Amino acid sequence: MQRQIRIILTTLLCLVALDALVALALATAAPGSLVRFFDYGTSVPGKLADWRAHPKRPGNLQDVAWLPEAVETSAEAFAAETSQNPVLRVYGMSFVNHIADAASALSPEIVSDKFSGPGAPPNFTYAAFLDDRANRRAGDVVVLGILSSALAPMASFTNSSWAFEQPAPFTYPIFRPGPDQTLTRLDPLVQSLKDYRAGAYDSADWTAQRQAEDALYSPVATALPFLDASPFARLVRRSLALDDITRREAAVLSDPEGALYPYAEVLRRMTTEFARITREDGQIPLVMLVQGRDARDPDLTALLRPVLEANDIAYFATVDHQTPRDPAAFASDGHYRKKIDAMFGAKLREMPVMQDAFGG
Amino acid sequence: MLFSQLQFWVFFAGVFALYAVLPHRAQNRMLLVASYIFYGAWDWRFLGLIAFSTLVDYLVGARMGAENDPRRRKLLLSVSLLTNLGLLGVFKYLGFFVDSFVALSNAVGLPADPVVLGIVLPVGISFYTFQTLSYTIDIYRRDLKPCRDFLDFALFVAFFPQLVAGPIERARNLLPEIAQPRQLHWDAIGRGAVLCLVGLIKKIVIADAISPGVDAVYGNPNATGAEIIVATWLFAIQIYCDFSGYTDIARGVAKMLGFGLMRNFAQPYFATNPQEFWHRWHISLSTWLRDYLYISLGGNRGGRWHTYRNLMLTMVLGGFWHGAAWNFVLWGFYQGMLLSLHRALTGRRKGSKEGRRHGLGELLLRIATVALFFQVVCYGWLLFRAQSFEQIVTFTGRILTLNPADFGALAMPSVPVPALAGMLALLAWDLGTEARGNVRFYATWPLPFRAALYAVAIYLLAFGATTTPSAFIYFQF
Repeated sequence: MQRQIRIILTTLLCLVALDALVALALATAAPGSLVRFFDYGTSVPGKLADWRAHPKRPGNLQDVAWLPEAVETSAEAFAAETSQNPVLRVYGMSFVNHIADAASALSPEIVSDKFSGPGAPPNFTYAAFLDDRANRRAGDVVVLGILSSALAPMASFTNSSWAFEQPAPFTYPIFRPGPDQTLTRLDPLVQSLKDYRAGAYDSADWTAQRQAEDALYSPVATALPFLDASPFARLVRRSLALDDITRREAAVLSDPEGALYPYAEVLRRMTTEFARITREDGQIPLVMLVQGRDARDPDLTALLRPVLEANDIAYFATVDHQTPRDPAAFASDGHYRKKIDAMFGAKLREMPVMQDAFGG
Repeated sequence: MLFSQLQFWVFFAGVFALYAVLPHRAQNRMLLVASYIFYGAWDWRFLGLIAFSTLVDYLVGARMGAENDPRRRKLLLSVSLLTNLGLLGVFKYLGFFVDSFVALSNAVGLPADPVVLGIVLPVGISFYTFQTLSYTIDIYRRDLKPCRDFLDFALFVAFFPQLVAGPIERARNLLPEIAQPRQLHWDAIGRGAVLCLVGLIKKIVIADAISPGVDAVYGNPNATGAEIIVATWLFAIQIYCDFSGYTDIARGVAKMLGFGLMRNFAQPYFATNPQEFWHRWHISLSTWLRDYLYISLGGNRGGRWHTYRNLMLTMVLGGFWHGAAWNFVLWGFYQGMLLSLHRALTGRRKGSKEGRRHGLGELLLRIATVALFFQVVCYGWLLFRAQSFEQIVTFTGRILTLNPADFGALAMPSVPVPALAGMLALLAWDLGTEARGNVRFYATWPLPFRAALYAVAIYLLAFGATTTPSAFIYFQF
């Protein structure tokens, strides 16, 4: 037994020495993919603190996509618009933006105004659509972007709960089915960049709200931030946090109509409400369904095609033009390749609602 | 509950803590309960199936042991075979046969509607069925005395470390270990922990990390010949790391509890011919097939053509054991052809080590032969991994019309850096084992070197543990 204890202690000693060596090597190494690999495991509070300390560092996401500030910017841009021609008002994320840009590149008369967040879930795009209502006019084509990989986050308040490696702190509401086909909106306690800068993110109330309402909030991703000093601890945290978040996402996705979060029903109501409001305002609704490359993602067309067709809502589904099972269609960052986006843009431009609004 | 999930290790810690304080009989009872909890965590509905199989074979074994009439003994063996193979047939193969019948019927112009049976495959059924069959067959052959204690026998069938994916233990090895008192030894615990560490690295750092690249190519109807070749090489590494990783953890966990499970893999990709490969790959299955099928068919006792026939039958059925799909049958056929061809070319001559030179030329020749035979094995893996006959034909055609320039334009997820590091470490580990002829080749190293090795291994595990754990490939069999 003594021999075994000696082995265990020597192994621990070697592990500590190795960890110290790695920490030293990382501290002196030039920024690169290996350094980033270790940094991905930093706790969420650690990453946010680093972003606060280095606001100009590439990849810093602390200022992006805060809804109140984005609506303000949108209002200013809307007020500055001189033309009364229809505009393609896009509420989405990078995937949808790329397709809109590709359509604009083919037809300059398609002017787009984009309101987006990184990997934004439908609760972000729908809330943006609702909050930005004053900044659209009759005749506009309004796009609601839905990304297949962002359905589980519909049960979350913020990317910082589920995007462990890039925990953008911007927030959005959680929608749940209400009476008479309505949706109830639960807003997060931290809503704006102003709140965030005032330190509201560190408040106990915000943590309590996330623990109570945010199905993807993982204590593993946030606890014991002092361990971030150890590269080994960062690696372990990354593994445990990703596993925990993936488990939570899987629990949400496993039952589309379930009690944990009925995302299928919420999506159906979102799309029909989206169409009702746009039509009420004299605008043209267009739902964009972007199927990502992960085969585990729910099939968006299977989920939504029936309700979209039943309500005569125009939609653009990427799967109708490109199988997401072809890895050659995707760039290394997970987005569709430019040529695929260009093809999507051309197909979007050919849609009757686009032809009617922007001309052939 | 996967070996690669934290949940399992919490479960095992609880089992181990209880095990350490209980006397022998209570240890066995507790392990039986733990095994049923472990299996029930997959799907509690199938616990009845294991219990039924256990009961039938226990009763058959007991009766057979007391019976001297050869006809009655044969009848009792038939009951065991019919029960176990019947369960396997219903749960694993019925859907396949019905689908194949419908397809055949349609092909000959007799329209038949597809039938959806919706039968769920109980995890590990092929493994525990073969394990429990070895018990009744050994008693029938008078190689084994029946187990008197029903609960000990139930533990033999359901022992959780190897329940769902082997190694397929023989009753004559495992039952005595269950029956005899065991003591916890720090040395065995240490060895077991190292085996678990190696297994976790194989599974988490390598197999799980490279599977997206393999899945992407095998799910892509437009994959190029170069992508298919690279993906198949990767699949060869994935399935080895996945399956041998599981076995390492199973053996490690069992060792910590004082059991010695058989070795299931011996650096299979260092083989230079099919016979050697099957002495190194899934040893518990290949020896099971040899002892209970090949020899029962007559083995090599009936002349050359009988031997080839027996080899083909054994390997085709071995392929079919893996899964209810034609590509597994084809894989078995391919392996049978390779073994028969090898036998035809080499006869029964065995490679003699005496007089063999160990110079550089010999080494280079061996490396070249290993590399060449690896390609032969990989084509087998293409048959194994393919999702349909059409894909086999298409992919084979693309490999044959390969454009070498396509290797420079692979459109598939790349292998992550930790997985590459893991593969290099595994190669070094397997080379060390092969060179010293002992999996514990590091045991004689001075303590600081061994401790450094363990520390690097632990660090490597953390370095690569960034993917979500996925189920072991062999669970589906």
